[in-house]
Amino acid sequence: MNATIAVLLKDLRLLWRQRSGWLSAATFAAISVLTYSFALDLATGEVKPLLPGVLWVTFLFAGIIASGRSFAAEAEQGTFDALLVAPAPRSAIYGAKLISNLIALLLIEVAVLVMATILFNTALLSVELIAIMVLGTLGYVSLTTLLSTLGSRVRSREVLIPVLALPLLTPLLIAAVRATGGALDLPTGGGDWLALLAVVTAWTSVGSVLLFPFVAEQ
Amino acid sequence: MSARAPAGEVTSRGAAARLALFALRPVIAVYDARWTLLPPLTGAAMLAMLVGAVIVAPREAIEGEVQRLFYIHVPSAIAAYLCFSVVFAASIALLWTRNLRFDAIARAAAGVGVLFTALTLATGAIWGKPIWGVWWAWDARLTSTLVLLLIYSGYLLARSLSDRGDVQAARYAAVFAIIGFVDIPIINLSVRWWRTLHPDPIVTRLPGTQTLPDSMLAVLVLGMAAITLLALWLMALRSEVEQIGVRSDDLRSEIDRREAQRSGAA
Repeated sequence: MNATIAVLLKDLRLLWRQRSGWLSAATFAAISVLTYSFALDLATGEVKPLLPGVLWVTFLFAGIIASGRSFAAEAEQGTFDALLVAPAPRSAIYGAKLISNLIALLLIEVAVLVMATILFNTALLSVELIAIMVLGTLGYVSLTTLLSTLGSRVRSREVLIPVLALPLLTPLLIAAVRATGGALDLPTGGGDWLALLAVVTAWTSVGSVLLFPFVAEQ
Repeated sequence: MSARAPAGEVTSRGAAARLALFALRPVIAVYDARWTLLPPLTGAAMLAMLVGAVIVAPREAIEGEVQRLFYIHVPSAIAAYLCFSVVFAASIALLWTRNLRFDAIARAAAGVGVLFTALTLATGAIWGKPIWGVWWAWDARLTSTLVLLLIYSGYLLARSLSDRGDVQAARYAAVFAIIGFVDIPIINLSVRWWRTLHPDPIVTRLPGTQTLPDSMLAVLVLGMAAITLLALWLMALRSEVEQIGVRSDDLRSEIDRREAQRSGAA
């Protein structure tokens, strides 16, 4: 347990030191929302039916950009090899990185929600919506954190991670968009989207914890 | 040899191993004979399927001639799933044993699977244009098949961007393949809730409620046999090519090493 906390503290410190990377992800998210509002004419048209999709695509892209470099600094500076030698369980290394990524992304997402609330004059900061957001974010961050262990092994990693992650996240995106639509009183077309979102999130996080030891090996 | 196991256990385990080997003997024999068996069998079955689909099978009353694509479309979809199951099994075997041979098999099966998925989508689109009036519809099965194509194209892309002999990259790809395979039913469920238009499966109904005429069913079974044989043959060829590639890479690096040694000594 002490080892887990130590690794987590290391990751939180890294999160703070690499804040320029996270700030660029946040800026990207803000610009993405603005781009959508120009492209889909969100300023004047009927905004509500489009909002869940706009928000989740923004969250997903910002998340993949931001967490895609999860283990990059460790791999470059040799910290990763040291971590693997240290008497810490592999799940602690993964869990700590997951938690720090999750914290950073949730901060970005809340900022996006505040911005969208102001820009589109729609109340978005409800408990239900934030619960859906936390659940969905945990689901995709657990997968992108696992996939980012690609490290320096593979050329053109920056392009590869979205190409690998997005098809796998199809169910998560559909479920999250529909559940968010439901929270905004939009028609959801049947189906228990919140349950599906919970199942997908449970599966990506448990599967990632189980499979992480196989990719983190020297 | 410090601790000797009880004699009875040794013989029973030996007997079990011998029994397993005996039971597997036909399988091993067929596998060893794959290069002599698969080409003629596949050729004959493919020819029979074509004759059956074009000449023997009756013309479908409502859909017309385009319905004959069905005899390739459905077997291709099943062959693709067969290939992806092989990728899944080989990926687990790779993580278990670290033997790069399984990586070659997984890559070969993924390539063949992508080929048959593309064939399924293409024949489906050709059928869809006259029947539905559109090449593509955002139906549940079409969408999930497209996502499947993207997942395994991503797998092939990830694997081709790293070296063939890179064990770590192979393990990474194997983890991705395992997640992708387990993700398939969840994708299917999610897009089915999303929307659906595809005709229901007509073969797997209860006996007695079968709506497909016997002659059509016979051609379909023939098509499944032919396409499955073709998929097996292609997988065998591809995995052989991949393994030869790994060996030639090894040999080349060995030559480089020795040449460097010689120039260092000189």
